[in-house]
Amino acid sequence: MNEMTDVTADPTDHHLIDQFKAGSMEAMEKIVGRYEDRIFTFGLKMCGHLQDAEDIAQETFLNAFRYLKDFREETKLKNWLFMIAARACIRKRRKKKCEPDHEISLDSFVQEDGSAGRYEIPDWSDDPSDNVIRAELKRIIDAAIQTLPQKYKLVFNLRDMEGFSTKETAEILGISAQAVKTRLHRARLFLREEISKRYKEGRSR
Amino acid sequence: MKEECRRDFERISEYLDGELSEDLCRQIEDHLRRCPQCRECVDSLRKSIELCKKAVYEEMGRDARERLRAALRDCFASDRS
Ligand SMILES: [Zn+2]
Repeated sequence: MNEMTDVTADPTDHHLIDQFKAGSMEAMEKIVGRYEDRIFTFGLKMCGHLQDAEDIAQETFLNAFRYLKDFREETKLKNWLFMIAARACIRKRRKKKCEPDHEISLDSFVQEDGSAGRYEIPDWSDDPSDNVIRAELKRIIDAAIQTLPQKYKLVFNLRDMEGFSTKETAEILGISAQAVKTRLHRARLFLREEISKRYKEGRSR
Repeated sequence: MKEECRRDFERISEYLDGELSEDLCRQIEDHLRRCPQCRECVDSLRKSIELCKKAVYEEMGRDARERLRAALRDCFASDRS
């Protein structure tokens, strides 16, 4: 069970936060260096565009350093950064006036014959010489993630892409642990179907 | 969908994440042994999750890193030194 959130601060983060509070610009850059790729990855998986991901990263760190002097380390720095990043993603989407999120129902995955369906999921190759196949697979997966409604995408990205626990994800998004579990399961079922469908289409072309 | 299949269909993710009690795990495993359809469903979901995890990594370009640092310096360098 990964229910317990370990709130012990990372010692390196703790040290850097202290230095930042004492006025060190160098500490600020070190904190950025530790987390920028993860925040950028999260922004890209959420928005699907490089420019949006860069905006999310900038907004996240600008807001973080604006409030870091008051940060009391009741939560891990990393989790706090993702909380800020998640809000930035939600704001960005609102500004774009996208269609409202649709709900994913479990019943939509039950086939007409009453079964849970058959899905062909490709294997990921760890062989570097397969990089063309890997690039194509990655394109399929990224495109599938982009079709998830936002509230499912947030949970999926935090849980499966970033590796946060159910409890941490609930804290980051301000929702219940049960809501995290429900949304994650539906997001995964949805992605399995999308990936299988897109993979099949790609091969029949 | 049979009742038992439907019940476990709702719990697969928690099962794969190790978030179910021992009793419930045993109940699911018992069902999976008897039900090839649900076994396949669990396997393909597991495989799909693993595939997504393999394809996660993105790297910020060097220019984007530099722009981020420049924005932070613009914002914070003036009131600290
Ligand atoms: Zn079954």
